[in-house]
Amino acid sequence: MELGFLDRPHGAGGVRVTGAALVDELGYSLGCDRMHPTGAPVLTAPPGDAPASFLTEAFRGQDDHALKFLHGTTTLAFVFQGGVVVAVDSRASMGQYIGSGSVRKIIEINPYLLGTMAGGAADCSFWERDLGRRCRLYELRNKERISVAAASKLLANTVYGYKGMGLSMGTMITGWDKTGPNLFYVDNDGTRLKGHKFSVGSGSTYAYGVLDQGYHWDLTVEDALELGRRSIFHATHRDAASGGFINVYHVKEDGWVNISHEDSGMTKYYEYKAQSAAVDSTAMES
Amino acid sequence: MDSIIALTGDGFVMCAADMTNARSIVVMKEDMDKIMELDRHRLLCMAGEPGDVAQFTEYVQKNVHLYQLRTGVSQSTRAIANFTRNELAKSLRKNPYSVNLLLGGYDQHDGPEVFYLDYLGTLHKMPFSAQGYCAYFILATLDRYYKPNMSEQEALEVMRKAIDEVRIRFLIKQPDFLIKVVDKNGIRTVSK
Amino acid sequence: MSRRYDSRTTIFSPEGRLYQVEYAMEAIGHAGSCVGVFSNEGVVLAVEKKVTSKLLEVSDQSEKMYVIDKHISCAVAGITADANILINQARLAAQRYRYQYQEPIPVEYLLQQVCDTKQGYTQFGGLRPFGVSFLFAGWDRHYGFQLYQSDPSGNYGGWKATAIGSNSNAAQSIMKSDYKEGLSLKEAHELAIKVLSKTMDSTTLAADKLEVTTMLKNKETNEVQVHRLREKELESLLTTSGLLSAQTETSG
Repeated sequence: MELGFLDRPHGAGGVRVTGAALVDELGYSLGCDRMHPTGAPVLTAPPGDAPASFLTEAFRGQDDHALKFLHGTTTLAFVFQGGVVVAVDSRASMGQYIGSGSVRKIIEINPYLLGTMAGGAADCSFWERDLGRRCRLYELRNKERISVAAASKLLANTVYGYKGMGLSMGTMITGWDKTGPNLFYVDNDGTRLKGHKFSVGSGSTYAYGVLDQGYHWDLTVEDALELGRRSIFHATHRDAASGGFINVYHVKEDGWVNISHEDSGMTKYYEYKAQSAAVDSTAMES
Repeated sequence: MDSIIALTGDGFVMCAADMTNARSIVVMKEDMDKIMELDRHRLLCMAGEPGDVAQFTEYVQKNVHLYQLRTGVSQSTRAIANFTRNELAKSLRKNPYSVNLLLGGYDQHDGPEVFYLDYLGTLHKMPFSAQGYCAYFILATLDRYYKPNMSEQEALEVMRKAIDEVRIRFLIKQPDFLIKVVDKNGIRTVSK
Repeated sequence: MSRRYDSRTTIFSPEGRLYQVEYAMEAIGHAGSCVGVFSNEGVVLAVEKKVTSKLLEVSDQSEKMYVIDKHISCAVAGITADANILINQARLAAQRYRYQYQEPIPVEYLLQQVCDTKQGYTQFGGLRPFGVSFLFAGWDRHYGFQLYQSDPSGNYGGWKATAIGSNSNAAQSIMKSDYKEGLSLKEAHELAIKVLSKTMDSTTLAADKLEVTTMLKNKETNEVQVHRLREKELESLLTTSGLLSAQTETSG
């Protein structure tokens, strides 16, 4: 990626460059990278304050249709004996910056359908909101809820219609319908897969690493939720582009429940570390 | 990465396809059915770009059904092959479907037939054929071991050899293959 | 009462009739008769050629029999000009089908398309229905030889033997009593000629007043073909059927 924009002052014609320029004129030492004339250190805002120029700079040299904001992400969902567990991180990266640390990557399409967000945040949230609208219309027209298979097919057909035009989405649509718990993977190529266990995003390989090894159909609800949480935690630990909070949802026969929202950072790290230390010590005692 | 194989035997067509779906370096699914049943006597083995494959083959399948509803009779395998080729050729200079196919069918007039189709609009009737990376390995295997008018048992043996070769020499893991047979009685899944 | 409704093709009369469609069928009742007879070996179409004036140049090409594709031919009763439109459409449909599927169009599928057009003119505003009835003879891989009849309303049906045009009712009742299952092609020819001789206005029958085509399989190539009977063949057919006109008999 072109990183030249980091060296250049941002904003229009340097007018807004307060720190460095003034500091130089006043002859202060530049030991501290940016200083206020009063002598107090100032933090420069990240270059997102002039979006148009930031975006052209940040994505210079890339394909016009390759804008991928939420590329750093870990999301996962799996079906088990007790329904579906959906777990995700909350980091939004923009290039090398963390755009946000509290993105809600599980989208509540309606009270019994969930979608996950990976790829372009706007693309996912817009099209899944659109999906929610269409599912509601289906419900009004047919006097029954749409199946997860049909809902995911609607989304797959929509994104297929925009194929090659720059949509960026890797999503899982899940819910409980007449046929029971269901999980589908849908992405911007138009791929739509039915399955029991998916993970999407840059951290997905790490998440799979924990998920695959801990997964059983017969998992208790509590263990399943913890497996989802653990998988996301380990993915955020290894994948720099994933992090923030871990959000966990559980899809049951009567709809989804928001289970937890926890910091995936050091708190969780020490919590798990303490747990394994406890396990180790009991192992030594016995 | 899809591997699809089809061959004609004595009164039947045998089709095989791997069951793996992968995205970049990640395996998403290992129980995928890449052999679509167009009607009671027609199998379509699918390979190519994921979204395109689903959209295009469903379009073909629905047209085959529509034809049967409109006319009360079913088309010959050759007619379906030509229709499909036509659609691929039509899309080629606009918005090409990246889809490569093998169409296998049994027809009471024409017997068992296999047709090779690719995204460029190529159409050939073949005694046997394969598409995807696997073709680089197993076309030779089939050249060596294929005989016309094999029994189902013999054909299965040859198919197993071909699949075995993919497993031995191909870098990418394709643990499971689905094998389907179509004859005068319809379609059967032979093994997974 | 009917006056108020019969000028509109697409409006039902209070009795639930479409007068224009009925008038179109009436018009066909005055056209030269066409007879079709089916046999397992082929299908015979026979039509009456009306010689309107001896000054008119007699065209070698028929105005009532048309080849739609290699495997389908048809006979027309009614307004020839109207028929030309439909025939052109049928030929186009047959070639389109060949282009799309690289095989001959099934006979009924073709007829369905022609009849869809006919039906359209009984429903959509301001236009006159086609004043045409057809006999379609054809062969396909699904049902072998077939014979169909269609009328201006867009109805069609498959027949073993049928007639359209003038005196078609009389013709149909003769065929009802004379048609036998498992007819040979020769017998089919004879039946067609016999029926035609009884429905034609003129009492004498001659080769130049008739036209007969046969849809059959070529014995050597086993391919379907349309065969138009030449004058010699017609004459010998008339002789064997004992239907040669008195004039020809005396002169010959």
